[in-house]
Amino acid sequence: MSDQLDLLAQMGRDFAASHDIEATMARALARIAHLVGAEGGALFLLDNDGENLVCHASHGPVDIMGLSVGADQGIVGRSVVGNVSEMVRDVSLDESFQNSLDQQSGFTTKSILCAPMVACGAEDELERIGAIELVNKTDDQGLFDDNDLKFLEVLTASAGLAIHNARMAGQLAEKEVMRRELERAAEIQRGLLPPPGNGDFPVSGVNRPARVVSGDFFDHFVLYDDRVAFTLADVSGKGMNAALLMAKSASLFRCLGKEDLRPGRLLQHINAEICETSMHGMFVTMVAGVYDPATGRVVLANAGHEPPLLHKPDGEFIALGAGAPPVGIPIELTGGGPVPEEVLHLDGGCLYIFTDGVTEGYVSGKKELGVDGLQSMIENSLREGLSGPERIERVAELLDQSDEPLRDDVTILVIDDAQNARARIGKVPASTVDDTMSDKPIVGSLCKLSLPARAQSLILVRRAVEASAGLSGFSKEQTQDMVLAVDEACQNVVRHAYEGELDGDMVIEIRREKGDYRILIRDFAPPVDESKIKPRDLDDVRPGGLGIHFIREVMDAMDYLPPPDGQGNLLRLKKALPSN
Amino acid sequence: MEINNSEQGGVKIVTLSGEVDLSTSPQVRDALLSCILEGSAVAVDLSQVAYIDSSGVASLVEAFQNAKSRGQGFALANVGETPLRVLQLARLDQVFVIHDTVDDAVQAIG
Repeated sequence: MSDQLDLLAQMGRDFAASHDIEATMARALARIAHLVGAEGGALFLLDNDGENLVCHASHGPVDIMGLSVGADQGIVGRSVVGNVSEMVRDVSLDESFQNSLDQQSGFTTKSILCAPMVACGAEDELERIGAIELVNKTDDQGLFDDNDLKFLEVLTASAGLAIHNARMAGQLAEKEVMRRELERAAEIQRGLLPPPGNGDFPVSGVNRPARVVSGDFFDHFVLYDDRVAFTLADVSGKGMNAALLMAKSASLFRCLGKEDLRPGRLLQHINAEICETSMHGMFVTMVAGVYDPATGRVVLANAGHEPPLLHKPDGEFIALGAGAPPVGIPIELTGGGPVPEEVLHLDGGCLYIFTDGVTEGYVSGKKELGVDGLQSMIENSLREGLSGPERIERVAELLDQSDEPLRDDVTILVIDDAQNARARIGKVPASTVDDTMSDKPIVGSLCKLSLPARAQSLILVRRAVEASAGLSGFSKEQTQDMVLAVDEACQNVVRHAYEGELDGDMVIEIRREKGDYRILIRDFAPPVDESKIKPRDLDDVRPGGLGIHFIREVMDAMDYLPPPDGQGNLLRLKKALPSN
Repeated sequence: MEINNSEQGGVKIVTLSGEVDLSTSPQVRDALLSCILEGSAVAVDLSQVAYIDSSGVASLVEAFQNAKSRGQGFALANVGETPLRVLQLARLDQVFVIHDTVDDAVQAIG
């Protein structure tokens, strides 16, 4: 008895000290062989498939380390399969004994003992680990007896237990490493989401993942003209898969969104990209839009997502349905066109965008919040005077605190026009006519040209300016003047921006807004060094003073604006629209 | 943009047609300078010029200065509204020798 306990304790200590299960087994085998009194021995373990028994420790004159036999072969196989100890007391009396190994090694086997190692698995089922085999008793005759077998049995049981414990310890360590990695991934994910607002900024979001990592995301950022681009999306599935597709979609939105694509086209591009490298039938329901604080106007596109709620100032809630299937469904099935857009005028109201983890989230027990529940919460919070971020935080908190774990990720985005609407009172009222339907003069971007920054491109720019200036009501002379001014401004980019490299692009955008005709000229070259320019004096970077002189003579204003993303240069020319 | 050369009364007539901009003004510069290098007076017919920018104007200025330094005549003829406006913006309308017709120009500098 004490030998068993001793052995168990010794193996435990060995492994704890070294974490080297192989060495521990070798020492244990030697000990067992010594205790029982055997010339040689071997410790076999079942391999991962359970198909073979492999020798992991060998003792005595013949080294069979690494030897592999079928899991049911020979004495050791019989012992493992039957979970019973075996003895061939005297091999000379056993016809079935094969002495092929003896012939190879020069060792003469006289007597064999074998005992199985098992452990109790997770659900109390028997887990076969392997067996220990001993050969040749170390006395005159060299033959084992029943006492030896019994002794080996109990020692082998201890060894089996020790090996099982060591394996368990290893698995626990691996799980711990994975858990820590998952937490790190969650941290990175949280960093991808914008922090909650403080109520001053009209767009704010909140996210509570159901597991460690989330498949939902939202994002918002300000475009160069103060409009706010926003998105909210729900990736199918949960866990790491969803989180990876979430990161990809979020990056695509940020990247493409800054190119100021209309929301419908933006979702179309993201769709094309996701479909091209599709991840096993996963898809993303997604809402993308742009909010203009100056007018309270929102352009929205919805690809298969839970209908956002428009909360009008008079208290009415309107659900805005999806115009297209989710992002990521193969283009052969959907056609892959742009997602239809809707134009809304918030007029001081709010837009709520959320995932179905909200409306299907449990409030108490298995009772779902539902759209009605969400609307009530919004109304109550408004009555209490809570800000946008506070209102959505309250909803997330309610779902998170319920006695049931979160059913799905909870994500909510609010666009709150209340503050900006108050600021607009007294100013020119926002147009309530859908721009695309009226025949009023177009406001916003008239055209956007992306061209290689070389001399041959200039004639294209001139044509665009000529045509759009004519459309804007300028006289022939005014138009010709502006054509000249824009040409000269572009020449600056062509001549200087890319320093002789022919590979740069320039983007010319022609816009009408706030009573002006505006031309924006953007390049992506190293920024004009401000320290070399005197304030509002561009002589140091002029191609020839004449060009800049023309621009100044013709246009009302010429300014360098901070370029989006801090990349390149952005020059803006303005001329007041003719009044008529 | 096309450049046509002819001669009249001992004066080289250079007729420009089309748009003179950053991509085409180098050709104008070369054409004018080579005429001047040959020693003749030069009259530039701008009747077919739909557009001219600062680089085009700079070519004319360079040719003008070159001719002047050699004591050769240099004049512009048939300057339409558009090119004239550009010369006015550049305040060069009083600097160049400008004539209404090619014949007038030839008479003046030939």
